[in-house]
Amino acid sequence: MKHLIYFTTGDHSVYSWSGGRLELQARFPGDDSGVTGFREYLAGRRGALFYALADLAGEDFHEEQIPYLRGGDREQVVQRRLAQRYRDTRLAAALTLGTVSGERRNERLLLTSFTNTQQLAPWLDALTEAGAKLAGVYSVPLLAPSLAARLGVKGGRAFLVSANRAGLRQCFVEEGRLRFARLERTVDMVPDAFAAFVRTETGRLAQYLATLRVLPREGPPVQAIVIAPPGQRAAFERALVSDARLSFVTLDAAEAARKVGVKSAPANTGAEQLYLHLTVKSPPREQFARREDRRSYYLWQLQRGLVAAGALGFAACALYAGANWLDVSGMHGETRQLRAQTEVTTQEYQRITSAFPVTQTTTDNLRATVIEFGNIARRTASPRGALLYVSRVLNDFPQIELDALQWRLERADERAAAKPPAGAAPAVAAGEVAQVLELSGRVGAMRRSDYRAITAEVQRFASALRADPAYRVVRTQLPFDVTSEGTLSGDIGTAAETGEAPRFTIVLARNVQ
Amino acid sequence: MNFTAKELRALALPLLACLLLLGAGAALIAWTRQEQRAAGSELAAAREQRAQARERLMRIAEEEKEVKEKLEVYLRLRALGILGDEQRLEWADAMTRIRTQRELPDLRYRVERQRLISSVASKPANVDFFASTMKVELALLHEGDLLNFLADLRESGNAYYSIKHCSIARTGLAPAVAGLAPRLRADCEIDLITIIDRAAKT
Repeated sequence: MKHLIYFTTGDHSVYSWSGGRLELQARFPGDDSGVTGFREYLAGRRGALFYALADLAGEDFHEEQIPYLRGGDREQVVQRRLAQRYRDTRLAAALTLGTVSGERRNERLLLTSFTNTQQLAPWLDALTEAGAKLAGVYSVPLLAPSLAARLGVKGGRAFLVSANRAGLRQCFVEEGRLRFARLERTVDMVPDAFAAFVRTETGRLAQYLATLRVLPREGPPVQAIVIAPPGQRAAFERALVSDARLSFVTLDAAEAARKVGVKSAPANTGAEQLYLHLTVKSPPREQFARREDRRSYYLWQLQRGLVAAGALGFAACALYAGANWLDVSGMHGETRQLRAQTEVTTQEYQRITSAFPVTQTTTDNLRATVIEFGNIARRTASPRGALLYVSRVLNDFPQIELDALQWRLERADERAAAKPPAGAAPAVAAGEVAQVLELSGRVGAMRRSDYRAITAEVQRFASALRADPAYRVVRTQLPFDVTSEGTLSGDIGTAAETGEAPRFTIVLARNVQ
Repeated sequence: MNFTAKELRALALPLLACLLLLGAGAALIAWTRQEQRAAGSELAAAREQRAQARERLMRIAEEEKEVKEKLEVYLRLRALGILGDEQRLEWADAMTRIRTQRELPDLRYRVERQRLISSVASKPANVDFFASTMKVELALLHEGDLLNFLADLRESGNAYYSIKHCSIARTGLAPAVAGLAPRLRADCEIDLITIIDRAAKT
């Protein structure tokens, strides 16, 4: 809930505002007793938010021009001009009226303040002392452009005339900006007399502004929006006859309240209800209070701003997270669908496989068992074939006598561990399995000294072993080492030959598979 | 606008609320991103599984043929006693029987402890391949005794016999002196392979 304090010359009223509904909370006389009463009123309302609206006579308006500036420079110039114009600048404001282009660009300002700021000061001090938050100090003329716009003034010049509790308020608005205002005291009058009074006063104001050259002497009639008190619209329309200078438009107070958005207001409230509502609903940027008087309000705004920024950040994160979650939800849905399809496919597969021959294991295990067994079986061999092959070859070499046979399966990796003797070809190629047959023997029925014949016989035997291309001779060790790398020895001239016949070794290999 | 200590204290709580809200928002995003990644992985896995299931269904005719072929081998392995637990007593009986039938002068053997040589991952359980190495020493009258021994061993079943090494050497006795005495001696090393199918119904 927000609070409004409405200052008039006679008394000051405190209203509460909530959702467009105004309620009168208290009314205080404008003297010291009123201030005391206001302090007591504020005692239980620490931290309450207050808007101040002054509807006082003696509000000064003065137009000036300053160089076109921005930021701190402009603020300094404005404050200097206000200080030059007013003795007390506690409640002073500068309203911009736009720029003028001449030799140099200037900004037109309307300086405004109250001739007697001391009538407001104790009340503002009471607010500060009570810890209330002061949103700003406004005057009825400051809100006139906003009210005029809501009542249908689209631009140009217009008078806005209303019967407020403080008196007859007349504001002159040009192109949506305040130019002048005055407050004329009123006494109780019959509607016709009051309407005539309004007609006269509006004419006088127009004349005054023409004298000041604010209003041109010649030109189309100026629109005058008059808000008639409740039940007096007919009397006003009779009295307010348009002429060449003024074009009157009369609005009933209830109609004006509806256009502005006031939902309810206390009975016997004048047109000030419109200004009070606009003070809260759309306060103008310019107002009278100093920064120091509004400090607690700034702090409150900053607190709200921080929380709002956090909430906004959280909302943005939640929105992004929500989008992510939608994505996640979509993926979960798709996953469920895929799993259901997989389940259906698997059931179909199982239904079909159930008609397969009865096995004592699962299909996967059946496959694994047979495939791996096949792999093992392919890497094995029997020595039978190799032995029979050697046996057949030996039939043609009666002089060859074998002493030992060694058959083994050899893998490339094992072979790498036991490197072949120098000069021997590898028995097994990389990644292959081979059966290796090592033959050791002698050449009989020959003289030991006939080394040429013995060597030739062994070489012939080795060549015969190559007859089947599946077999390859990996290594041949002759009885006599006739290579340049070996040692050749002999015993020539001995009468009788002694010892055993010279031995040879042949290594055969054949790939398995 | 410079703040007093009191004003700064008044701003502390809203600032904390702001930071908490922003932190909560960031945590919310992090959580949903994590969920997104997990859901993405699940989706990819589900796609893969569906593709596999469909492919398997499409290959079912081939599979039926394959099952029939493989089942023959599987049943043969079971009938031979290769599939199942080791039958060491059966092996011992077989060795005795072969020696007697083939009238081998001398036969010595030693079977080492069983070892795992291969384990194939499958569904619903692995298929394990074991080997027990048997070292055999034979006294032979001639080379044919060894070949007959190996053939008999293979025929006896109860394992798959994978011969690793065999060597034959003369004993050194002259034929005239020895008469029917063994002229040759053989040493062999044979892996006795058995298979355990963990999913097989007993």
